[in-house]
Amino acid sequence: MSTISLHDTHHDDHGHGHHHETFLTKYVFSQDHKMIAKQFLITGIVMAVIAMALSILFRLQLAWPDKSFPLLESFLGKWAEGGRIKPDFYLALVTIHGTIMVFFVLTAGLSGTFSNLLIPLQLGARDMASPFLNMLSYWFFFIACVVMMGSFFTQTGPASGGWTVYPPLSAVPKAMPGSGIGMTLWLISMVLFVASSLMGGINYVSTVLNMRTKGMDLWKMPLTIWAFFLTAILGILSFPVLVAGVVLLVFDRSFGTSFYLSDMVFGTEIMPNEGGSPILWQHLFWFLGHPEVYIVIMPALGISSEIISVNSRKPIFGYHAMVYSLMGITILSFIVWGHHMFVTGMNPLLGGVFMITTLIIAVPSAVKTFNYLATLWRGNIRFTPAMLFAIGLVSFFISGGLTGIFLGNASLDINLHDTYFVVAHFHLVMGSAAIFGMLAGVYHWFPKMFGRMMNAKLAYLHFWVTFICAYLVFFPLHFLGLDGVPRRYYAFTEFEFMNKWLTVNVFVTWSAIIAALAQIAFLFNFFYSIFRGKKAPQNPWEANTLEWTTPVEHIHGNWPGEIPTVYRWPYDYSKPGAAEDFIPQTVPFSQTMNSNLPHDFEGNEEAERIQLEWEKTNKPAQN
Amino acid sequence: MVSTIQQENASINFKPKKFVVWLFVVSSTIMFGGWTSYYLVFAASKGKGHGLVLPQVFTYSTIVLLASSVALFLAARALKREERGIQQFFLWVTLALGVTFGVLQFQGWSSMISTGAVMVNNNAAISLIYVVSGFHLLHILAGLCLVISSLIGSYREVPQDVAVYRQDITSIFWHFIDILWIYLYVFLLLNS
Repeated sequence: MSTISLHDTHHDDHGHGHHHETFLTKYVFSQDHKMIAKQFLITGIVMAVIAMALSILFRLQLAWPDKSFPLLESFLGKWAEGGRIKPDFYLALVTIHGTIMVFFVLTAGLSGTFSNLLIPLQLGARDMASPFLNMLSYWFFFIACVVMMGSFFTQTGPASGGWTVYPPLSAVPKAMPGSGIGMTLWLISMVLFVASSLMGGINYVSTVLNMRTKGMDLWKMPLTIWAFFLTAILGILSFPVLVAGVVLLVFDRSFGTSFYLSDMVFGTEIMPNEGGSPILWQHLFWFLGHPEVYIVIMPALGISSEIISVNSRKPIFGYHAMVYSLMGITILSFIVWGHHMFVTGMNPLLGGVFMITTLIIAVPSAVKTFNYLATLWRGNIRFTPAMLFAIGLVSFFISGGLTGIFLGNASLDINLHDTYFVVAHFHLVMGSAAIFGMLAGVYHWFPKMFGRMMNAKLAYLHFWVTFICAYLVFFPLHFLGLDGVPRRYYAFTEFEFMNKWLTVNVFVTWSAIIAALAQIAFLFNFFYSIFRGKKAPQNPWEANTLEWTTPVEHIHGNWPGEIPTVYRWPYDYSKPGAAEDFIPQTVPFSQTMNSNLPHDFEGNEEAERIQLEWEKTNKPAQN
Repeated sequence: MVSTIQQENASINFKPKKFVVWLFVVSSTIMFGGWTSYYLVFAASKGKGHGLVLPQVFTYSTIVLLASSVALFLAARALKREERGIQQFFLWVTLALGVTFGVLQFQGWSSMISTGAVMVNNNAAISLIYVVSGFHLLHILAGLCLVISSLIGSYREVPQDVAVYRQDITSIFWHFIDILWIYLYVFLLLNS
């Protein structure tokens, strides 16, 4: 014990002696995980706003395909000649919207922010395993964002073959305008992004396994950390496969190999490529792509677990079940990628296998959902903004998850594949749900990040408008899909059977516009509160986890003195007999003799004996 | 007392960083796993592999790489016994063998090219040989940088724990790329 405190004192002296922070080292090339988290968050928010703006652009086209918006021409120039978005640009818009949302916002923006912020703070570590790698991770991400956005400023426009960049559209530079330099930039950006993700993920895993404070065994970790940890493992195991696939794609594009290409004719010209198979790209892509959707949703699920428990003032229902469900999802996510490929002429037996593994994922997902509901059940609920968003996540996770059972069935998927039904499904279950988890996290940990509170009234406005509009946007799309309307089509006026859906599209677009306007409430609230928000108290939500024991003012190294020791799990809320309705993880059982329960001691006979003796002498007196 | 605490502190910091290298090894393995899976699925669906007799020189390069691993092991052992001179000698040997390996790989490629099995090929399996061996060579390059960093540390007489840490990282990575090449070579031999 004494050696540890000495070691810490030494560390602090060292810290104060050598850190003369300049603007550059504090705000730009920072190696402090808290600052890096903020960098990820703000970059993520900027990218989210851009992606949202892109979505409004293509929604305008979908709702009013024949109408001219002269304003668009003044902003977009030749891509909206005569005020109408060109088909090529429309395809670029949907592609880049998807890419930004999936990778830049919901992977880097979500994991990058909250893993960085919470892993050291909730585990009791001074910083990440490698702060330098952590800094690099952010800057690779930043450059990836810049390169991706740079593709808008090229002559032929950004990549436009869809966010899954299937060959041959992605492999043959002259296939369509977006297949040229735009696609090249997409690939460069994605390689940088994967490098960033791997550096981040490797750091998170190493930190979780090696740098927990005294007493913080794995089963005392908050569910947020479990989720971030398993997400990072997913990333480490799946992103390299995307790199492998991308490398082969680069060789096909730039050097003329035939990994994915075969038997193509352009006009009258016969392409020399032979012997490759575009299906192989789909295998490599979806081997990453499916775990990727869990990389997106699992941190959001972890964040919700924490927020729902704190604000229900109840222990999370089924802590172990929650962890095992996350593990189950992690493992299963690697053996389901084929369900994206049911219509590629897959062997029906193989399709059946993928179908079964896919449907099994419903089990851990349902366990998690029921546990959220059971945690809420008869809780002493505090409807903080974060809590509303966390409940919103549960709602979207259910309504989007149910359609996953439809799509997981090979026989149904053959009808629904590549229709708006799929669009509706994933926008609810991983789009809206993950965004709501992220927003819940922002509202909940804003005081920890910036030392100030966000305005609750604006937050409620933000929540209700966004929540209702998200349903209004995505729910009708199911019906388009059931009618067989394919996704990514440019103009509904071009097809007789799609005409009747134009009015629905107008409705959806208006809902999307209102939802977008609601985000202004958030953006204003966020940036205003950074500077002018009410000063945050030490523990605004009366939560148990370690991050709320750090001082409000940030210091490098997180805790001024010794790192606190952990004695209990993080969910001791409303424990019968306790003085308050929360007992932080740092409170030893010896201080809570009134509320200790037999299973708290995990079979430690000595502690059980002491507790029994105490109860003999004290409990009767109380009665 | 203070110095032991410092050492404790240092070794506490080294452990997670070493773990980072292990995780990198895992992710790199998976990247190569992706390529070899591509190969298997490609070969199964097309009913053909690369169909080549791999150049003899790849066998020699494999032996050279194995020898370099042995040299690196001897360097690590010398360091543990605090014999920096011997460590430096074996690090130089590793470096030389690593460079030789690179040269041999280039010779392997040129002998493949001379038989007509070029990179831009309608048989993607042959193209893949270049991809995996090329990316493996990039790993060798990174490994050589680590060997050099160990060497520099040794010459600058960094403290023993720092030197051991650098040597450990070099060893983990170098033995990994050694095993990786053996895997790739055997894989390509078996799946012709």
